Amino acid sequence: MATERNSVDLVDGDVVRQFARAAMLAALIGASVFVTIPNPFSPAPITLQVLFVFLAGLVLGPVWGPISLLLYLTAGAVGIPVFSGFEAGIGPLFGATGGYLWSYPIAAAVIGLVVHRGTDLRDPAAVALPIVVGALVAGTIIIYGMGTAYAAWLLELAAWEAIAGFALPFIPGEILKMVAAIVIVRSGRIEPVQS
Amino acid sequence: MLTYNPDDTLAHRLDPRSKLAVQLGFAATALAHTSVRALLALSVVTAFVLLIARVPPLETLYAYRFALVFLALAPLLAGLTLGSPWFDLADAGASGRASYRVLLILLVSAAYVRSTPVRASRAAIQRTIPGKPGQLLGIGVALIFRFLPVLQADLRTIRDAMAARLGDERGVLDRASTLGLLGLTRAFDRADRLALAMQARCFAWNPTLPALAFSRTDYPVLVAAVVLALTAFV
Repeated sequence: MATERNSVDLVDGDVVRQFARAAMLAALIGASVFVTIPNPFSPAPITLQVLFVFLAGLVLGPVWGPISLLLYLTAGAVGIPVFSGFEAGIGPLFGATGGYLWSYPIAAAVIGLVVHRGTDLRDPAAVALPIVVGALVAGTIIIYGMGTAYAAWLLELAAWEAIAGFALPFIPGEILKMVAAIVIVRSGRIEPVQS
Repeated sequence: MLTYNPDDTLAHRLDPRSKLAVQLGFAATALAHTSVRALLALSVVTAFVLLIARVPPLETLYAYRFALVFLALAPLLAGLTLGSPWFDLADAGASGRASYRVLLILLVSAAYVRSTPVRASRAAIQRTIPGKPGQLLGIGVALIFRFLPVLQADLRTIRDAMAARLGDERGVLDRASTLGLLGLTRAFDRADRLALAMQARCFAWNPTLPALAFSRTDYPVLVAAVVLALTAFV
């Protein structure tokens, strides 16, 4: 058996704390799958996953937010049931909703960059409200843009067909999640890790 | 739910890396083709994979029921047209073939999930992706696996506590933000304790990994993966 005989290379304290939070947030996104709200406009229910994608960008920032989402995607790909409907495997990453999954890390990165203006984390409760709202809207546009574009390409749909099937039914739920994300960061009960 | 199932099939004995390669090769070629002939060939490959990993087809289809809803919706959306002839069969057929290949990709990935324990996948990740990114990804996957049921229980506790206080009669926004806030604070409390515990145990960039080795049966599987990937260009 191959054993490393080099001296131990410890991970820095800041990195450990941020990494633990990123992993827990990824697990929380997976755990939130069972909380569903019936959607009158689509057979697919509303889940809280996107709310935690928003929070990953807002609280973990532009570096650890996307890492958290990449961990989530990897965990799902290797068979942990974290995708909506308790699905798992590489299949969902290429499936009809695969575009949404791939967009999550990008959306978290953009939200983090807009809100924190760089890699040093600021308290999101102290950031001006229009900036937070703008960041969340940009994140939502990225998620739905990539999600519907991929579905349209994959399933050979026209643009309006993809938008009608994969975006419009979820807009009311999205607005709800944006407001919930703002309420959560404004509560001041969640502080980012200061490095 | 689709999870690892201990068994002694050929698929269970293969190295996780060759199984990952087959899935990627299959997905690449399935995404490149929608002709009826290609779909027939891909169906045969899928049936073979399912047979080797002893995947129960009906149970697996049920596990992917949410994805199937979207796949069934696509041909209907593609076929519907405003004005005569109201339903365009050619459009619906093209979209139907496209969604059928997605179903095949899902089934092939189910064979991996059923035949590979998470610790083997983790070792494969850490051995394939070099350096610190691979370490973080591997450990992260292991932590998610460990904490998923814990955080599910947390969310369930929060929901029950809300329901006991008639919180389930409040508006959707109120419920969603309460659940999100409490879920996140609990998860971060756990993260902070976990970080302290990991540091106390010398959390390092260079720990010792479980052994992985290609066996003789892995080589033909790897060749099959490359062939599948190359057929994407045929």
